[in-house]
Amino acid sequence: MADLLDALRDVVGAERVLARPEELFVYECDGLTLHKGEPCAVAFPRDAREVQAIVRACRTRGVPFLPRGAGTGLSGGAQPAPGAVVIECSRMDRILEIDAANRLAVVQPGVINAELSKAALHYGLFYAPDPSSQLACTIGGNVAENSGGPHTLKYGATSNHVLALEVVLPDGELLEVGSRSGWSASLDLVGALVGSEGTLGIVTAATVRLVPLPEGVETLLAVFPDVVSACRAVGAIIGAGLVPAALEIVDRRTIAAVEASVYAAGLPRDAGAVLIVELDGASVALPGEVARVRDLAAAAGATRVEVARDADERARFWRARKGAFGAMGRLAPDLYVHDAVVPRTKLAEVIEQVCAIGDRHGLTLSNVFHAGDGNLHPNISFDRRNPDELRRVLAAGAEILALCVAAGGVITGEHGIGSEKRDFMGLLFGEDDLDAMHRLRAAFDPDLCCNPGKVLPTPRFCAESNPKARGYDRVPFA
Amino acid sequence: MSAAESTPADALQTLARELGSGLESLQHRPVSIDGIAVSFTLRPRDGEALARTLRALGEHGLAAVPVGGGRHLELGNAPRRVDALLCTSHLGGVDFEAAEGVCHAGAGIRLGALRARVGEAGWEVPLDAPDDASVGGAIAAAAIGPRSQGFGAPRDVVLGLEVVLGSGERTRCGGRVVKNVTGYDLPKLYTGACGTLGVIEGAWLRLRPRPARTRVLSLPARPATDALARGIGAARLCSARACALQGRAGDALHGVVELAGADESVERDAQWLTREHGALEADAVLVDRVRAEQHATPAPHGLRFRIPALPTQLPGVLAALDPGAEVIVYPGLRLCYAAFALASADDAPGAERGFASAAGAASAALGTFRCESAPPAAKRGRDVFGPIGGEAALVRALKSRFDPHGVLSPGRFAGGA
Repeated sequence: MADLLDALRDVVGAERVLARPEELFVYECDGLTLHKGEPCAVAFPRDAREVQAIVRACRTRGVPFLPRGAGTGLSGGAQPAPGAVVIECSRMDRILEIDAANRLAVVQPGVINAELSKAALHYGLFYAPDPSSQLACTIGGNVAENSGGPHTLKYGATSNHVLALEVVLPDGELLEVGSRSGWSASLDLVGALVGSEGTLGIVTAATVRLVPLPEGVETLLAVFPDVVSACRAVGAIIGAGLVPAALEIVDRRTIAAVEASVYAAGLPRDAGAVLIVELDGASVALPGEVARVRDLAAAAGATRVEVARDADERARFWRARKGAFGAMGRLAPDLYVHDAVVPRTKLAEVIEQVCAIGDRHGLTLSNVFHAGDGNLHPNISFDRRNPDELRRVLAAGAEILALCVAAGGVITGEHGIGSEKRDFMGLLFGEDDLDAMHRLRAAFDPDLCCNPGKVLPTPRFCAESNPKARGYDRVPFA
Repeated sequence: MSAAESTPADALQTLARELGSGLESLQHRPVSIDGIAVSFTLRPRDGEALARTLRALGEHGLAAVPVGGGRHLELGNAPRRVDALLCTSHLGGVDFEAAEGVCHAGAGIRLGALRARVGEAGWEVPLDAPDDASVGGAIAAAAIGPRSQGFGAPRDVVLGLEVVLGSGERTRCGGRVVKNVTGYDLPKLYTGACGTLGVIEGAWLRLRPRPARTRVLSLPARPATDALARGIGAARLCSARACALQGRAGDALHGVVELAGADESVERDAQWLTREHGALEADAVLVDRVRAEQHATPAPHGLRFRIPALPTQLPGVLAALDPGAEVIVYPGLRLCYAAFALASADDAPGAERGFASAAGAASAALGTFRCESAPPAAKRGRDVFGPIGGEAALVRALKSRFDPHGVLSPGRFAGGA
């Protein structure tokens, strides 16, 4: 242990290595605080060369390691394996280049998502993937998780916007994959790396696509008597061939939480659900599209449809959506944010069943979700100090995942598998399917040292199989 | 091959007997795969038969080249070995969910048939390959065309795949929903892998709503630098779905633009093109013709290259090319295609000049290029995918894990995989 810490200090300097229990405490988990693992150290590299040296120091000692961005992930992707070294990329936070003429940017992994869009704004461009945590989350973390966001519906997720990556492979080699053009000369290794949750390597730079700011934006807020009719409106809009930038539903329970909080948006508290529709693109086409959405929402049962008159009102509509998670802090000490996807045509029936599952388990379950993608976020407010409630929360979560898979969906749309859903992969995939994923992983990391214990059920990894790595378990910091 | 199977033909006949009615086996006049004569075609009747065929090929030490519609067979290095073509034409079936905007298609379904099927309900298949290309082939080759600007690349269209690995396991990856991060993104790895890791059995595709309006306009010929500037501007219009510039590298370029979307934006953009660039109304077939020419083999003998280039690099790329090269530039796709005529299939000096010209043009851009069509003699001793640097070790590691017996087109892919 002392030998490893010395090596890390040699690489990044003593002030950039954390190893005391009270320093490591916050690195035991990411946004999924139910899952924790105690690292042996946290190192803060400044560049790719230092990342390489850290990885090599770990490899020679058989110590697992993992990258970490802002730690906002919600599936335990940045939860350390016991005794692992956390490679904290937040200090690699420079925007290396904005090439406005070619609409791309090159960034270090610790650049905050919203900061990139802010920098690109000067050129009339922006970075499209916009996870709810975009004020804090990093591009490196977004790449690891293939993060989405409300505007994924039209613009796609992170994978659609990454052109090339510089990555330190699990053996310490530095590799550039992809191209600034976005066209690969061989296999789509960028595609394989994005969303690999830091298990195939550590991204040290990303070349990403920037897109032009839309000419015009219109935001509508439609009020429905119940969530099922709001879901029907979503189906009607998609079926009509419209491609809004965002289609978001906020249900009654979430509205109540939001309206009782500092995020209050003036939503009708008696509404069953509200649907936020954002249309963007050619300004000349927007009035016609707004009219069509109005008609479709009304036909699906909307009791009221408002169109934002200005930017302030648009912000108010979005406050109902973006403030939802913060507002739920009023309901209970803990919040379990679930993430699953169903075919959009199944939204209405699945949401009803999701609510029934919550009710059956006696839980406070609310829904705020990316309806246009069929991406559900059932949120369960609970108190982890109540063991029985925690048990019910986990049981309900498992039932929800099984329900979504039975409906033709998948178990995560944007949060990733991490440690949270690793053991649910079997719901969706058979042994041969998982074995194919193992083959991919093993081609990059045959010793399974890079963020072990994530994505796939893993029988063992280097920290367990290598005796040198033992002994890093410390007295738990209680 | 066992001792009793003295030739690959014997082994293939044994294999066909073993697989019985699940496999249609045809012996035919030799066809050339980059100069290697192949006289057998194996057509599995379903996915299970495909898996059994691949396992049997491995057990017999044989190699096969997967074939769909046969539209992209020119892409790749000469294989180290090929005993049979493995044809997916029996892998059919379409499951179309109109309300969902997605469909599932068997790998052997022709794009033209799928387009017709979903088009009736107001949807488009956003794969810009020829009508007679198969779904599996278009995905395996990551085939693109001028409309890929609006459609997105095949990697962005494929939601899920069923793939039989080179080692014979039937697998699924991805899903049927439009947003999914469940596990590794294997669909992206298989898309564009030219079947070197596994054979695609079927695919879930994201469809696009058919636009309310489309208009095609032609751009008059202009000197290259001016034409490129105009092309980049046209490609960035709100409703631009396709934009291509064509001509000889050293001459003027003319262009075609397809606008698609809401009536109002298409009309506005068409008026701008007419006013600013003197664009003229044209027929939609012009865009299809560009795609056909992009895929055509330079007749009667020639080379065709794909050179990725950023918009600002395009003038340098054209300046570096042999002035006689026929080019198609897609500014919105960051691509330039260049074709060179050869005096004969064995015109070694001509091939040398063509490769040197493409490499020179690539060095004015991002340094990479690939040769998508060349006579076998011109491919000899070259990697048509160009240098892939440090990726080569990973590509080979993936090949050895997904296709450990080297059944699928050994040596045909980038880096000799």
